[in-house]
Amino acid sequence: MTILQVENLSTYYKTDRGEAQAVENVSFSMKKGEMLGLIGESGCGKTTVAQSILRLIEYPGRIVSGKAYLDGIDLLTAKQDELEKLRWKDISVIPQSAMNALNPIYTIGDQIVESILIHEDVSKATAIKRTEELLEMVGIKKNRFKNYPHEFSGGMKQRVAIAMALSCNPKLIISDESTTGLDVLTQAQIIALIKQLQKDLGLSIILISHDLPMVTSVCDRVAIMYAGKIVELANTQDILKHCSHPYSNGLLNATPDLSNPDKEVVSIPGSVPDLVKPPTGCRFYDRCKARMNVCKEESPDLKEIRPDHFSACFLEGGGYYHVQ
Amino acid sequence: MYKFKFLYSKMIQYVLVIFLILTLNFLLPRLMPGSPLAYLAGEDVGLMTSEEKQKILDKHGLNDSITTQYIDYLSNIFTGDFGFSYQQKVPISDLIEDRLPWTLLLTGLNLVISTILGVIFGAMAAWKRGTKTDINLLTGFMFLSAMPSFWIGMILVSLFASKLGWFPVFGAETAWADYQGMERLLDIGHHMILPLITLILISVTTTFMTMRYSMLNVLGEDYIQMAKAKGVKEKTIKYKHAMRNALLPVATVFMLSLGFMLGGATVIETVFAYPGIGRLMFEAVVSRDYPLIQATFLIITFSVIIANFIADILYPLLDPKVGKENG
Repeated sequence: MTILQVENLSTYYKTDRGEAQAVENVSFSMKKGEMLGLIGESGCGKTTVAQSILRLIEYPGRIVSGKAYLDGIDLLTAKQDELEKLRWKDISVIPQSAMNALNPIYTIGDQIVESILIHEDVSKATAIKRTEELLEMVGIKKNRFKNYPHEFSGGMKQRVAIAMALSCNPKLIISDESTTGLDVLTQAQIIALIKQLQKDLGLSIILISHDLPMVTSVCDRVAIMYAGKIVELANTQDILKHCSHPYSNGLLNATPDLSNPDKEVVSIPGSVPDLVKPPTGCRFYDRCKARMNVCKEESPDLKEIRPDHFSACFLEGGGYYHVQ
Repeated sequence: MYKFKFLYSKMIQYVLVIFLILTLNFLLPRLMPGSPLAYLAGEDVGLMTSEEKQKILDKHGLNDSITTQYIDYLSNIFTGDFGFSYQQKVPISDLIEDRLPWTLLLTGLNLVISTILGVIFGAMAAWKRGTKTDINLLTGFMFLSAMPSFWIGMILVSLFASKLGWFPVFGAETAWADYQGMERLLDIGHHMILPLITLILISVTTTFMTMRYSMLNVLGEDYIQMAKAKGVKEKTIKYKHAMRNALLPVATVFMLSLGFMLGGATVIETVFAYPGIGRLMFEAVVSRDYPLIQATFLIITFSVIIANFIADILYPLLDPKVGKENG
């Protein structure tokens, strides 16, 4: 069953030089209970996709076109009051930096209770009890209900944020670089916690990250973004074994492999194109080792190269045969 | 225990500051040019023999050595005796008792009203950043703050009091009218409107600017976006999440103004001939009324210290972080 269906989403940001096409024509869908990894280097539009789905894009940004159906309801055209009801109840977020995402003058317990009381018709006592259960679930003792955010470490704040995201049993959770700013050990703990909760509660999660090994270790499917577009979308195994798009390959080659210490790590030369004046052809053209003449003229669409494996490349088999 | 320790060390600091202030307060009028003799004796001073002059100075203890004067001064202060005003020939404590309530009434109301107005308009401007509302408010308040207080006061007096006759020209209540109860309250209110408006006009901008800036900062914080993502209503975000946080710097400004409540209205009290502490101080300085100068300075500095102390106690209640650091 499809829980989220994003179609042709484009989001631009106004700049002094014109509009930057931060997200251009992005489409993907995800099934219920699935964990989808959204990956790419910074500035490629991952967070903008998330914020567009949440309708949190504010001036100077605007959603130019597209649809995002969550369980049949288009989030992008929902009215403000509908949106207020949908948010958190249907779609919640584990934010980019939990350090700043908690209001400093209210206790963490009160902030979780607030989100429950907005959306559910329950008594305050019930909401408090539920909050205590949620805190225990993410590994925080319930007697810390009355503590303020500054009394927690970064990792614990992140746990609080996870508890908050779970508070209304949402249909979809977006984890937007939730481990940024945490040490490696804590990162691993937080990701393990998210994965555990996803399995236990059957959650649908979009995991946004730039950490390829982390994403491939926990996600069912992976979407790779480059310069505002999805370039490859497939099951994790397919991405790892049958990686096709030249950019995805570059990304894989740029990642060290613990099981294969002799692997040569190669970075992708060049830099991302200017999104205010993006190339008319493929956005990866300048940096692509396998570029062809057609790549300069036309922009490749995402097409199915094998069952459930999509790649946006003009090379035969979406680049797959080129790589092999 | 920690709380007690904190208060104890604060207390010692305050005692030191008070002692320093008392000393400075004693020295200051004695370093000023001019002799108090003329004011003590009035116009007759020119006709007096030096013996008679000495007698007057003796009577007021002005011929004693500085140390003796200093010790007398300190012991008097601690018994609540500020001495006699040279000029007005009445106990200073009586004068202060007379004047203090008027100033407290005027500046207290101003502080409350201008803080509320500044907070509301500051939050409004920040919430609608970059729109016409914001720009109009900003320009308006900048314009107000650029005008000198005495000038606003004089314009208001000449327009609404002299020309139109809507309000009385001076004083805090109608002299010898002997109003009672409600009637008296209305009379006091009627007298207070012009000086109060002047005070509000000149003090509201500080709060407005502080609130606007602080609110803009808060609105850029992640937790505001988080509240939106949580589906919190716009109004609740504005009041509960944004304004409550943005109030912290405003509270600092409020506490600072609290300290200047007594001295801050001197110019306005003079323009409107309002019988407050500020005007008392002004009169004392003009007539070199040493004991009165000392007493008014002292009262004003004490009010600053008391305001600081209140701020020390109240701030932890507003900001949970401060409370924990102190204790």
